[in-house]
Order: sequence, then C-alpha cells, then structure tokens
Amino acid sequence: MDNNKPDNPDSFPPLGRALLWVDKPGSATKIIYALAAVCVALGLLDFAYQKHAEFAVEYLPNFYGFYGFIMFTALILLAKALRFFIKRPENYYGDKAVDSETYPSDQLDKAQNDA
Amino acid sequence: MLEQLPVAFLFFATAIALPLLPKGTLRGTVLLAIPLIAGWQVWSLPAGNLVNVEFFGFTLELMRVDKLSRVFGLIFCLAAFLTNLYAWHIRDTVQQVAALVYAGAAIGALFAGDLITLFIYWEGTAISSVFLIWARRTTAAYYTGMRYLIIQIGSGVILLAGVALMYRDTGSIAFEQMTLGTPATWLIFLSFGIKCAFPLLHNWLQDAYPAATVTGTVILSAFTTKLAVYALARGFAGTEILIYIGAVMTLFPIFFAEIENDLRRVLAYSLNNQLGFMVVGIGIGSEMALNGTAAHAFAHILYKALLFMSVGAVLFRTGTSKASELGGLYRTMPRTAVFCLVGAASISAFPLFSGFVTKSLIVEQTAANHYPIIWGVLVFASAGVLSHSGIKIPFFTFFAHDSGLRPKEAPAHMQLAMGITAALCIMIGVYPAPLYALLPYPIDYDAYTFGHVITQMQLLGFALLAFCFLMRTGIHPPEIRSINLDTDWTYRRFLPKIIDHIYTTVSTFWSRMSALKSRWIKALITKAYHSHGPDGQISQSWPTGAMVIWIAMLLGIILLVSFVS
Repeated sequence: MDNNKPDNPDSFPPLGRALLWVDKPGSATKIIYALAAVCVALGLLDFAYQKHAEFAVEYLPNFYGFYGFIMFTALILLAKALRFFIKRPENYYGDKAVDSETYPSDQLDKAQNDA
Repeated sequence: MLEQLPVAFLFFATAIALPLLPKGTLRGTVLLAIPLIAGWQVWSLPAGNLVNVEFFGFTLELMRVDKLSRVFGLIFCLAAFLTNLYAWHIRDTVQQVAALVYAGAAIGALFAGDLITLFIYWEGTAISSVFLIWARRTTAAYYTGMRYLIIQIGSGVILLAGVALMYRDTGSIAFEQMTLGTPATWLIFLSFGIKCAFPLLHNWLQDAYPAATVTGTVILSAFTTKLAVYALARGFAGTEILIYIGAVMTLFPIFFAEIENDLRRVLAYSLNNQLGFMVVGIGIGSEMALNGTAAHAFAHILYKALLFMSVGAVLFRTGTSKASELGGLYRTMPRTAVFCLVGAASISAFPLFSGFVTKSLIVEQTAANHYPIIWGVLVFASAGVLSHSGIKIPFFTFFAHDSGLRPKEAPAHMQLAMGITAALCIMIGVYPAPLYALLPYPIDYDAYTFGHVITQMQLLGFALLAFCFLMRTGIHPPEIRSINLDTDWTYRRFLPKIIDHIYTTVSTFWSRMSALKSRWIKALITKAYHSHGPDGQISQSWPTGAMVIWIAMLLGIILLVSFVS
C-alpha cells in the first residue's frame, strides 16, 4: 500500500471522521480517566445492594474488580514470559506454513479508500 | 413431504446441481435460499425418528429430532446462511460446493440417531472442509490442509473403531448417553475430543483455520467444533472429567492468544477457549448447565463468525491479518470496526450483548454445584477473553498506532452479513427469551439481576483499566512479526527430526556396509587377477602346451574308462 500519499481526512467515511476524535492529543488520557471514574463508581455500587453469593470471597468489597485487575495483569506478565520461551521467526516452518507467505492477491480486492 | 427428506440431503442435492448453474447472482441466491429452507424445515419438523434406512442389516436413523439437535440445527442453518452471504463475491465453484457439503454433513451429523450415520457425516465434515483450506491454492495451504485432514480423518477412524467395539460389546449402534469405562467408550470420547480441540489435541485448529481462505475460515469456525460439542453433550453429559478438561481449555489458549501475531490465529485460540466453557457445562451435566452449553454454542457461533468476518474483511482489503502490520483502520473501515466491536463486546460478555446471557448460565452452574476452583478459573478466563478477543482484536486492528493503511470499507455484502450477525448478537443480549425458549430443558433464568450486571461490569471494567495501565507503562507485550511454538511442534519439527535422524543413521550404516563389501570383493578380484591373470605368476609358469597335454590326458582317461567298462 502507498503510505506516502498525503492523508486526506475529507475522503474518510463520515463515521470514520467522527471517530478521529480518539486520536486527538489527550483523548486517550480522557478515556482512561473516564474509565477509572466508572470503575470507582462500580466499586462503590457494591455497597448498594444485598449480595447473594455462593462463595465467601464474593462478599469482599469489589471482589470482581480486584480479581479482574490482578488476574488480567498476571495473564499479560505470564504471557510475556511464555513468549520468551516459544517465540520463533515467522519462517520457522518454512514453506509448509502460511505464516511467511503472502496471501494470494488474486483472491483479494485490495481497494484504496480514495481510489 | 419435507419430513421424509433428511435436511442434509437438501444441501447435498444442491451441491451436485450447483456447478450447472451460472456463476453469479443466480448461484448466490441459491446458496442463500438453501440454508433458509433448511432452517425452516428444522424449525417445523416434529420431534421423533423421522427417517430410518436399512443398511447391511443395521437400521440407520437419519433424522432424530429433539430439542437438543433442533437448537444446534437451527444455528447451523443460520450460520450457513450468514457465511454464504459473506461469501457472495466468491466465484470459485470448489469453495461453494465445499461450503454446502460441509454444512450439510455437519447438520446431518446433528440429526444422526445412530453411531454409523454419525461416523459417515463425521468424516464428511472432514473431507469437505479441507477444500476450504486448499482453495487458497498455495504450497503452504496444501501442506496445512494435509495436516488438518490427517487429524480429522484420524478422529473419524478412532470413532469407527469405538463404534465397532461398542457393537461387539452391546450389540447396539444407538447414539445415546454413554459412560466412560470400556475401550469402546474411551475411543469414542477421544474421537469427539480431537474434533472438540481438547488440550494437547487442539493444535490442528490453530494451525488450519488461519490458513483457509478469507471466507473459508468464517465457515470453518461455525461447524466442526460445535458438532463435537453437540456430540459430547449427547453422549457424555455429566462426565466429570469434562469439567477439568474444559477448565484447562478455557485457560491455556488465553496465554497463547495474547502473544500471537496473526489475528485469525488469535481468534482460533479464542474459539478454543470458548469451547472450554461449553465443555465444562457438559461435564456438570445438570439441565441448567446443558442449557448453558447449548445457549453458549448458539451465541458463540454468531459472535465468533462476526469476529472472523471483520478480520477477514480487513484481510480482503489489505492482504494481511497480522497485528504488527495493522492499526488505525477505523478511519476508512469504520463500519467494520463497529461490527468488530460488537463481536468483541459479545464474546467478552458485556451486559446487553449475547455472551452475557449465555456464559453466565455455565459459570453460575459451577458455583451452584460447588466447584470453587473451576469457578475461579472460568472467571479468570472471562477476563482473559476480554484481553485477546475483546481488546486485542479490535484495538490493534482498528485503533492503536496508525499503520498508514487506508483501505476501502468492506464490500456491501460483507457489511450486510456482519450487520445481521451483529444485530443478532445484540438482540440475544437484550432479549434472550426467544433463545432460552429453544433450549433443550425448561429454563427460568434472569441474567439481568442487579448483582450480576454490577459484578460483571466490575470484572470487565477493572480488567480494561489493567490494560490501560499496562499499555501506558509499556509492560504490555508489543505486536511483533513472529510465530509461537505449540504442541504442533511435536509433529511438525520433533518427530520429523527424529525420523530424519533414524533415516540418516540407518542409511549411513547401510552405505558404509555396502562400500566395505564392494571393497572386499574388489580386493579379492584384484588379488585373483594378480595371481591368475594373463600376467599373473601362476599363468607365467604354465606354458600354452600344458593345456594341450592336459586335454590329451583327459581324452586318454576317458578312452581307458570306456574301454574297461
């Protein structure tokens, strides 16, 4: 694909132009703060109702939130460690694997947005 | 009239006639109409054994209709419709016929009332589906298809062995609830396990699915593994070992999915993880858990197809499905991005999306039946699903860093297929009652209790927060061009290497032995020549006349002997 052509946002579909907001400087930070605020609210909502749970741990305040945060982080760290052991170059299996071959272009329709 | 016709035959008859139709609109329309007619047929058939055929002294039950086979039959027909719509642009007869036969065989297997019919359709799905991989028409696709075919056919052969033993033991070929214990049931269990991608038997899935064509992968994702889930639910419901197998299945693929670069392979790992939830439900075996498995299979086929469709559309437009090469595509493919996000929200089980109302049936059953560790694993795996299918797929394709790619939006028919699938995902999530009504057992369940919504949102919200934290701190592993080893290494590298080693050793030994032998013989000849040859010492002392003397003597002896006798 031609990456050197000057970008022309006016040629983007309307929905795409509307979404351009997410790439504005500071937008990502705003999204993260909004998410953090939602999470705090969700944590506080834990006190707003009578729990009927099967296991004792579920009665801990915001158990699901902490479990989600910790396990997600653990997952990423373990996966990163796993990569250290099992990562191989793309052509490891040679021509017997699709990883290093290009998809046959006659079966594709690689059209450009503004073409 | 339709009652007398097995649903699968509708697909097969069309597959035979299809090459006669002109390529284009007419053929496309037929490909869309057949799954709809089949779906209507499945919907309206009464329960019972509708079609029986005599076959070498066996009675084959081709159409056993009950609530379990019907709900799977309906979603298979729906999936066939949606995938054929997605593949509207395909003009390749091989792929069109393969898709029809594959869907037909999978639906036929669902309604099989006996194990011989099941076996025939079981192999039918294997043989027809491999053409969706070979249709890519590259060397790598050929080899990958071969690996896939060997394993799939292997599963069928093991099934046949199990059926034969079963017939010897019990004299029956009925496909009913089984109890593990005899070699026959273990073989059948293993055969189902291979197709269901049990841990260590799973790698054909991640190997083969990313190698299929753009549309082929979407079709493959719907049938084979869910047929295996159905077969397990039919044959081994309540088998406790399945709870543990299922839990491991939910767990290990999330680590591999996290570091995989090819997004279609990420989705294959994610598919494996989702199957784990269903297998746990079968292992628990209560009516509610089996309802959960059926409901989750139904919802899963839709959102998994949707995710494969969106990544497929990106591949169709850019030529790659690798996370390291993509990013920022929301600019010019915003609709595909939105459909992908709907699929991601559904698989992550956000409230108002389909996964929320189906997965919780299974997770709550692990709690209700007192499996605290399994419950913990499933909740962890739910956060894991969010990480690779919920975040990684849409984020690294459509957002994240700008790859500079500005592909055109997906073709209209692909958008339509994705749009319908996305709408179904939301409809099931918002209003699950019609799906619940289809389930095999009566159900009284409300997914939208205050506690359930809040706890699920806490889990997902904080996991998202963890993702943001890891991205901002740079701890999150980057997307890089690479592959990861998995169990397929054993038969793609290790075993060939061992065989190669044995071959080299034996052939070296053999060639050295024969070299030695020929050296000995050569030396013998040279030696004999040296002494007995024309210039040899022995021949030097033998005048030519000696020969004449010997012949004269021989003649004399013969004369003497004949005279005396």
